[in-house]
Amino acid sequence: MNKRFDMMLPRRRTIIGGVALAAAGAAAPARAQLTIDMTKPSFEPVPIAIVDFAGDKVGADIAGVIRNDLQSSGLFRTIPPSAFIQRDINPNAPPRFADWRGIGAAGVVVGQVTQAGGNIKVDFRLWDVVVGNQAAGLSFNSQPANWRRLAHIIADAIYKRVTGEEGYFDTRVAYVSETGPLNQRVKRIAIMDQDGANNRYLTDGRTIAITPRFSPTLQEIVYMAYGEDRSTPPRVYLQNVESNRRELLGNFPGMSFAPRFSPDGTKVAMSLAQDGRTNIYEMDVRGRGLRRLTNTSAIDTSPSYSNDGTQIVFNSDRGGTQQLYIMSASGGAEKRISFGDGRYATPVWSPRGDYIAFTKITGGSFGIGVMRIDGSGERLLANGFLVEGPTWAPNGRVLMYFRQQPNSGGRAGSVTLSAVDITGRFERQVPTQTDASDPAWSPLIPQ
Amino acid sequence: MKMLPSRLLVLIALALPSAAAAQRSDPVYVEDRLNQLQQAITLLTGQIEQLQYRNQQLQQQMEKMQTDYDFRLEQLEKGRPGGAARPPAAPAVPAAPSSPPPQAMAHPPAGAAAAAGGDQLYHDAFKLLQDGDYAGAEKGFKAFVQRNPQHVLAGNAQYWLGETYYARRDYQNAMAAFAEGFKVYKASPKGPDNLLKLGITLAALGRKSDACSVFARFNQDYPRATDLQKRRIDQERQKNGCG
Amino acid sequence: MRIIKAVAAIAALIFMAACSEQVPVAPAGAAVTPGSVADFRQNVGDRVYFDTDMSNIREDGRATLGKQAEWLKKYTNYAITIEGHCDERGTREYNLALGERRANAVRQYLVAQGIPAARIKTISYGKERPEVVGSDEAAWARNRVGVTTLQ
Repeated sequence: MNKRFDMMLPRRRTIIGGVALAAAGAAAPARAQLTIDMTKPSFEPVPIAIVDFAGDKVGADIAGVIRNDLQSSGLFRTIPPSAFIQRDINPNAPPRFADWRGIGAAGVVVGQVTQAGGNIKVDFRLWDVVVGNQAAGLSFNSQPANWRRLAHIIADAIYKRVTGEEGYFDTRVAYVSETGPLNQRVKRIAIMDQDGANNRYLTDGRTIAITPRFSPTLQEIVYMAYGEDRSTPPRVYLQNVESNRRELLGNFPGMSFAPRFSPDGTKVAMSLAQDGRTNIYEMDVRGRGLRRLTNTSAIDTSPSYSNDGTQIVFNSDRGGTQQLYIMSASGGAEKRISFGDGRYATPVWSPRGDYIAFTKITGGSFGIGVMRIDGSGERLLANGFLVEGPTWAPNGRVLMYFRQQPNSGGRAGSVTLSAVDITGRFERQVPTQTDASDPAWSPLIPQ
Repeated sequence: MKMLPSRLLVLIALALPSAAAAQRSDPVYVEDRLNQLQQAITLLTGQIEQLQYRNQQLQQQMEKMQTDYDFRLEQLEKGRPGGAARPPAAPAVPAAPSSPPPQAMAHPPAGAAAAAGGDQLYHDAFKLLQDGDYAGAEKGFKAFVQRNPQHVLAGNAQYWLGETYYARRDYQNAMAAFAEGFKVYKASPKGPDNLLKLGITLAALGRKSDACSVFARFNQDYPRATDLQKRRIDQERQKNGCG
Repeated sequence: MRIIKAVAAIAALIFMAACSEQVPVAPAGAAVTPGSVADFRQNVGDRVYFDTDMSNIREDGRATLGKQAEWLKKYTNYAITIEGHCDERGTREYNLALGERRANAVRQYLVAQGIPAARIKTISYGKERPEVVGSDEAAWARNRVGVTTLQ
């Protein structure tokens, strides 16, 4: 474990006061519930009030991060603190449910921060206003500098309690930061928290670096970068996120690109191009042994391992246009799965194993879509002049991708990150400091 | 498949003028030829993928339809009109082997229907069969065959007569009716179904080796039977352990 | 042969029209040194264009590459790197591969014309380094390009 990310969290789930405090209030009137079924064709966001945490000035910041996380999911509507009626809330006692019902809240989150020998201790409770009892309550201990992560972990706990799905707020995103004019664009690998905070650059921008992907432990990133010498082909690098130490992953005569970690982190699949042919290979990260997985004279690229690591989905133009294919992770048994109109690219296997996300190009427009593993049930979730490169949140419920506006007047159109839930209902822009492309969502940060 | 070679030819022909103009020994010509072949292979690969996919889709549809028909027939044989109910997702093991005649069940053969006088009798009997009145249908079909032994629908009536017994698990009479159908109306449109059902009935009576020899005749007697019927025969042969 | 010449001539016209605004043309009368990189760019033409999603050398490109081969046989002191580029209407990774395929098509054509394979390297820029900034067919057509660079 590297130090920067080490939380010293004793345990993620330490439930305070095991027993729910006395349920106040009578039967609830018919109104918003503190649960949500994301799979339903339509739902109202859950109205929730998050009270500034008591005990320390960081408490208000923590509440702010939680509000932002929940609101950004599209599944919650956070009630602005200015609307709150009960102001004298005690973080250890039930709130006055009537006051919260009065402002339409289905849930209230309260918490407090206490200093504990150089560390901070953060408790929170989620009160179900409708039923009138405590729905969740957890306590965490950490270094003060980690307050943002604590807030994300609390938001994840609330998300899980209300939706029944794992949260995804305590995660990072690697992406390509883009600056400068289009024909001499500076492209750097950067990482940030899922909400845009703690942005950091991993490459210096002297050469183009693109297509970052996390290792399962988040310790390393693989990406493709050009060499300083213009006649050296681009190659795949493995870089430690903490030390920034980077190494070449295989020194091949041709271009190597499109690297992806296997789910267990022991292998990296990538494309090697030579003599106009592009095939997929697998490299053993430790021993650096290389094994060929496909053998066509066409272009096979953008591999993605299945969640269990036994299969790989990729795109190939062996049949004349880019389509999606699945094969065994050790090569062979290749089978085309996309048969709709248009070209299919950048397939990404869901961490849940239920869907494959992809970029689709039909006519003059681009779309982000999902299909089941057998190619059936295709749905488009976003589209535009150029949307590309979906990546899954670790709970398999949200996709992030990038959206480019058309260039005009000799100026580059903006390139931004966007996220959409898999129902396609709620799309939002993800804040970044610069133009950004090629997002890669991390797994949950190990604790 | 027919369009494949012609499209290929067009592709190659289109590329030829420039190639033909060049010297045969010219490396550029060789390079061009290679690229053309590569393109042709790519085109074929894409088309084969599409065809395989469509073939697979059709096969799945057929299997779904067969399950559906089997279910409906089974319902009929149990004396319930099966039209409204949904078939099970996977073919449940039928209580009694069911029969494959698809189109004839819902609509009597259209081509034959316009014929003369006995038609009404046939259609009435068929209606009774659909309604589950097997005794009534039995009388109707029997009368139809006796009065119109040369009618185009006679073979059909003989087959359905067998079905009226089979649905009531009166396998002895069913066997007799199907055997008669096989003897007299072998060339009827219902011939293949009749033979299949004769075998199934024999099997139901425990006469497996007789059933197998009946199934064994199928391909020889009905080389142009539908794939569905052939598949049913294979299934039955397997089920009864025919060699 | 006549047809080919006509096609090549028309293609060359289109080619010149497309390039007239882009390539800096030396002022009339200002001669470039024969055998220099400037000579190659101006008098031979250092680039060939591709159709959408394609990597075969078009007739106009054949004419250009024929001239390139002649020039390169005469001036053997240069090492050659072919850059392959794509327009922005494809996905990033696929375009990297497509750019490589295009660069390789140019390379193979030059090799077939007698340039030693060992002299020619290739590099793909996919859609990462478009020459023309624009989101219309005119810009895209110019960005689907193979550029012969000399070292």
